[in-house]
Amino acid sequence: MEKEAPPRVQRTQVASSNIQSIGYHPPTQTLEVEFLSGRIYQYFDVPETVYQAFMEASSKGRFLASGIKGAYRYARL
Amino acid sequence: MAADLTLLGSVESAKGATITVCLDEETVSGLAFIGGRGYRIGQVGSFVRISMGYLDLFGVVSEVGAGAAPESLAAVEPHGHRWMTVQLVGEADQRGEFRRGVSQYPTIGDPVHLVTEDDLAAVYGRPDSPNFVRVGHLASSESIPALLDITKLVTRHSAVLGSTGAGKTTTVASILDVLANRERYQSARVIVLDMHGEYPKALRDKCTVFRVSAQRDAGEQPLYIPYWALTFDELLPVIMGDLDDVGRGAILEKVTQLKQAALSKQPRAGVTPDNLTVDTPVPFSIHKLWFDLHRLVNATHTQSGGQSDATEALEFDQSGTPVQAGDPMKVMPPRYQPQTQAAGETKIYLSSSPLNIRRPLHALASKLRDPRFAFLFSPGPWCPDIDGLPEEDLDSLVEAWVGGPEPVTVLDLSGIPYSVLTHLAGVLLRVIYDALFWSRELSEGGRERPLLVVLEEAHAYLGRDNHGPAADSVKRIVKEGRKYGIGAMIVSQRPAEIDTTILSQCGTLLAMRLANTTDRAQVTAAAPDNLEGLFNMLPALRTGEAIIVGEAVNLPLRAVIIAPPEGRRPDSDDPLVYDERGPGGWNRNREPSDYGEVVGAWRRQDRRSPRIVRSGEGGTTQGAEDSSSVV
Repeated sequence: MEKEAPPRVQRTQVASSNIQSIGYHPPTQTLEVEFLSGRIYQYFDVPETVYQAFMEASSKGRFLASGIKGAYRYARL
Repeated sequence: MAADLTLLGSVESAKGATITVCLDEETVSGLAFIGGRGYRIGQVGSFVRISMGYLDLFGVVSEVGAGAAPESLAAVEPHGHRWMTVQLVGEADQRGEFRRGVSQYPTIGDPVHLVTEDDLAAVYGRPDSPNFVRVGHLASSESIPALLDITKLVTRHSAVLGSTGAGKTTTVASILDVLANRERYQSARVIVLDMHGEYPKALRDKCTVFRVSAQRDAGEQPLYIPYWALTFDELLPVIMGDLDDVGRGAILEKVTQLKQAALSKQPRAGVTPDNLTVDTPVPFSIHKLWFDLHRLVNATHTQSGGQSDATEALEFDQSGTPVQAGDPMKVMPPRYQPQTQAAGETKIYLSSSPLNIRRPLHALASKLRDPRFAFLFSPGPWCPDIDGLPEEDLDSLVEAWVGGPEPVTVLDLSGIPYSVLTHLAGVLLRVIYDALFWSRELSEGGRERPLLVVLEEAHAYLGRDNHGPAADSVKRIVKEGRKYGIGAMIVSQRPAEIDTTILSQCGTLLAMRLANTTDRAQVTAAAPDNLEGLFNMLPALRTGEAIIVGEAVNLPLRAVIIAPPEGRRPDSDDPLVYDERGPGGWNRNREPSDYGEVVGAWRRQDRRSPRIVRSGEGGTTQGAEDSSSVV
């Protein structure tokens, strides 16, 4: 049953003053970010390496501002 | 004076409910400490108690200082006594039970006291009563809850008024959140006419969302307004625009005929061929209406007199089949031979119909084809086939709107073409009103299960010069809805643009920050209490603060509304030009752009990107312990 359900992005809670959780969908290279405000955004065409670096970054907010913001197209959910 | 710390002064004159108080010379200005709490003396908007022995009168301070001094004294002692103007609002007997209205007026010399928190709690506080919901706390005292009487709030109508950014939407969401509390009110029902799609987020686990371009995977239902539920006068402007009397009469007759024909094929409860009128909400096929009328006025015929369907001159190809016989459901007109009077050929005549409705018919055809109007003309299971028989009847539609499993129904009107938006908002309200009005004695009817209708951005369709069905429906609800259990909550940032009769019928006003003078005057005029002083505070209210006056509150109060927790706030935040924390704003490098996506969204008329991958609700929560909680 799980297999037939369309693929979903699973987000992981992170410790950050700005971001609540981060998820990644490898088949479509979609990065999903939930902000503490409750808004959720999906960034498109984000390489998996960037996602991994994001998850390892000590400051998620700073990584987002420097490495993702302004680099990838996104849409609000 | 130590025995009477709360004493402020004495009554010097009483003029109706307006009392002039002379502050005691010994009254310390500024702070007074009573029972370990500090009180500011002479705050505009604060309460005073006038002790009359067996009765306590309560009033609101509306003016303090020289302006409040009697004119004759102002010249004599400009810096002498300190004066205060107080508006009486109610009284409490010895048991401390508070009532609106005043049975006896104070006379000269009656002592005026500061109202302590204990007094206030006695007046305001009935937090346990199931009839009251808590929406916040008093601005002056966090320990005293601001309570609204839900019976009066719902059935006597209310208005939430305030400038953009004053916190209207948040306030409404907060009120709806407590009304839709399933543990207290299992059968609450609320409909929100949401012009901008702001509410679903705030009420996400308590509401069913109907939207024109629904995202089914997000649990939204498509919004359909079957055209055949409209009255003739509502329908005609949408489908044809203005018509002359002849055209109008012809269409009226045709619609009645089609409804009769459909009814004879499938009987419906409550309608007989004798009581059916053009306004009866019985299905008929608008596609057939268009097709028949199109043929009537646009067909060419083989004879000039005695024209009928049989004399139509369809165009045929060599094999003898019609080039285009037409298809009503696809809005495809048939092709006819051109008119010709040339000698030697078969004469072809134009239609002899006197109706002058060719242009409106073309407009109708293009609307029937327009996907933006599909919610109206091809309303899913409520779309009748060519015989006027839809899969579903109105009962399932009305049930979905007012009888769904969730307490709140959000009708998101943001996808409806602007030209017909206000018109259809009125139609929606009328359908709901009619359904609950006629069923008022039934268990699901309005009297037994009242309905609260929240009208967001009400100024858009309730203007003074607006005589559309929306204004009519709302006027009907505010004038008569009280008796039938249909209450309105009008939300607007431009009260001055709302019809005065509508606003004055609102028993409860929640006035938030309002800077515009005209708007303020309108609110003050509509206020049910004599409280000009209180309303002079409107421009200086903080965001999320409201002055609540009227029937749903014991006493007028200035309250701080509890904001819903972050993440559950309505989606009305303004865009940020400088966005420090979010992904957007002007302060960012430009990512590779794709205007194909932009135009695609425009053409689809759907703001949701097709690239979005379904998002997992409550994904894995590893490391949840170190996630910062935000409440």
